[in-house]
Amino acid sequence: MLRVENIVKYYGENKAVDHLSFEVENGEIFGLLGENGAGKTTTFRIIMGLLEASSGDVFLDGKKIDYSVTDQIGYVTEERSLLTKMTVKEQIIFYGVLKGMKEEDILEELKKWLKEFQIEGYENRKIKELSKGNQQKIQFISAVIHHPKLLILDEPFTGLDPINVELMKKAIYRLQKEGCSIIFSSHQMEHIENFCEKLIILVKGKAIVDGYVGDIKKEYKKKNIVLRGENLPIDAIEKIPGVISVSKKNNEYELKISEESVASKVFAKIKNKKITKYDVTEPTLNEIFIEKVGGVHE
Amino acid sequence: MSSKFWFLTKQSLKKKVHSKWFVIVNILLAISIIALINIQSIITFFGGDFNQSTEVFVIDLTEVSFPIFKESIQQLMNDEKDQSGEIIVKNTEKTEQEWEKSLESNQVLIVFLEDSDFYVKAKMISKEKIDNNTYQYLLQGLNATKMSVSLMKENMDAEVLSAISAPINCERVVLDEKKSVDENMELIMSTVFPTLILPFFMLIIFLVQMIGGEICEEKTTRSMEIIISNVSPKVHLLSKIVASNLFIIGQGILLVLYAIIGFFLGTKGQGFAVSSGVDSLLSTLMEAGFLDKLLHFIPSAFIIMILSFLAYSLVAGILASMTTNMEDFQQIQTPIMLILLLGYYLAIMAGMFEGSSFIKVLSYVPFLSCFISPSLYMMGQIGIIDIMISIVLLIGFIFFLLKYGLRIYKIGILNYSNEKIWSRFAKAIKSKDDSKTPF
Repeated sequence: MLRVENIVKYYGENKAVDHLSFEVENGEIFGLLGENGAGKTTTFRIIMGLLEASSGDVFLDGKKIDYSVTDQIGYVTEERSLLTKMTVKEQIIFYGVLKGMKEEDILEELKKWLKEFQIEGYENRKIKELSKGNQQKIQFISAVIHHPKLLILDEPFTGLDPINVELMKKAIYRLQKEGCSIIFSSHQMEHIENFCEKLIILVKGKAIVDGYVGDIKKEYKKKNIVLRGENLPIDAIEKIPGVISVSKKNNEYELKISEESVASKVFAKIKNKKITKYDVTEPTLNEIFIEKVGGVHE
Repeated sequence: MSSKFWFLTKQSLKKKVHSKWFVIVNILLAISIIALINIQSIITFFGGDFNQSTEVFVIDLTEVSFPIFKESIQQLMNDEKDQSGEIIVKNTEKTEQEWEKSLESNQVLIVFLEDSDFYVKAKMISKEKIDNNTYQYLLQGLNATKMSVSLMKENMDAEVLSAISAPINCERVVLDEKKSVDENMELIMSTVFPTLILPFFMLIIFLVQMIGGEICEEKTTRSMEIIISNVSPKVHLLSKIVASNLFIIGQGILLVLYAIIGFFLGTKGQGFAVSSGVDSLLSTLMEAGFLDKLLHFIPSAFIIMILSFLAYSLVAGILASMTTNMEDFQQIQTPIMLILLLGYYLAIMAGMFEGSSFIKVLSYVPFLSCFISPSLYMMGQIGIIDIMISIVLLIGFIFFLLKYGLRIYKIGILNYSNEKIWSRFAKAIKSKDDSKTPF
């Protein structure tokens, strides 16, 4: 289990991480969201021990982070961290040995992973000769070759096509089942929504949203209504207090309402019309993110 | 941690040695060094106008000069094992006018004439300009002939002549043993020493480039983050330094090996001969006590060399950590190159400015000491104590680099921005409590 306790990080006068605390249980996938410069990478670097926190501590299975612990962490950086002149085999051996593995074990694991990612026979190819997607797969393999207890994934799907995204997702779920704690960061909210049970949204280093994804959505007052029907009184609906906006997409209307109670007022206006669809939905994570992050900027 | 250190060192060394460029560069170096050592033999082997034989026809109107001249020329040709062409001296019955019509480009006509004031005079006729070496031989032969003919006419015997013309026998005694260096040494130093320290100069340039390049590569590919999350910056830097220094020492040994092969080929192989220049230089060096002094100096020279390699590597690593790409490193390493050049030139100039206090003081300065100290020592301008002072200062400087430079390295290798870079590094140097850092 990873425990981040009240970490603060200053760069000069600038506070990059502001009293951040969270826990990631074994076998849990945790999302760390935030716009560019929100402090995600700084947090990852502190967890990896690459940066010293100005205050606060990080523990993995109750042990403070040091070189005896970092062997149990895998890290997929946002930008590719591969030595492009090496072959796939050399690269994986290089990172594997640094993680404390033996060469023969690394080669055995590598074979399995290459098969799983459908790139068998790539051992002796130079990294620079691989496509972006395949480089990303190699980077992922280099981070998990040692079966880490904690896996940090910073934008892991960059450069992957949908088929390969599915392959990697499958691999991540497998690691989760093995009990690996996973911290996940992505700008693509649907990935976070599908993957993570818990998340934090960071703004200027501070957690402004924190908790289980389901709870966050439930607690978020604003809802959406999707409407389809004939002769709908859109002008009247727009005037109902609590209706924030109405937009038309194909032959459907999407209403944003300030709270769930407004839904009944909308329904009252249309109940006598010929309605083929009336659906009250929870907001997407993307909407929550934009509002929370945008709200801080205003 | 030590197994990871050796793994990183091995990887770094393997990367350098298992590169096709290492093989190509070494083949080129071997060919160049072997060729350079045997350059005279190679030039001679391919031939040219310079080694054409010259026929010298003599019209001897003095009736005594021809045999003396012929013998003088033969003597000169035997003494100087030069690569110039052979000179064949022949007597001729033809007249000067006849020869003027028929002289070819490799033929010279010499006419000896009686002279009432100077005993004998000569006339040298050729179709075109004579090769300089041949001309010098002929002039020497003519002078020797004139001298012999003159003495004969004055009834002076050869032994007296030999005693007159022999150089003075001067016994050289220097009372201060520490400064008992042959006066020829300064002249030798200005020609030989730059050649001896040139490989060292080249190896330091290799070293600086290699360490900087490797660190920059790991930084720009961001693999540094993965590496540093598994080994401390100190272990990382030291592994680079050890690997690069081992490589450089190996490369230095290979250079020496190529030179030995060059000499071997020159003396034994395929009829080639070591050039008379190298041969005479070696014997002059032996006579001047250079090699003897060099053997005494080797242990301290080795120490100062290794320590200087370490100091240069540390600085190269620290500077590379401060930069964000290879272009920045190329710029920031310029001062190192200038220091190297300064040391190299001062080592050469030490022979021209004997006893210079300025050069002597600079011989203690780390980075410069590896070039200047050996040079001054070989010329007898400093003693072994001065070398020891240079070594102690160098050790102190390395300690300083390890203490403060590593702080910069630790911050630098994970820094990708040039913003407020100097204040960040200044802060890193001032930071006293290292225990707060995670590793």
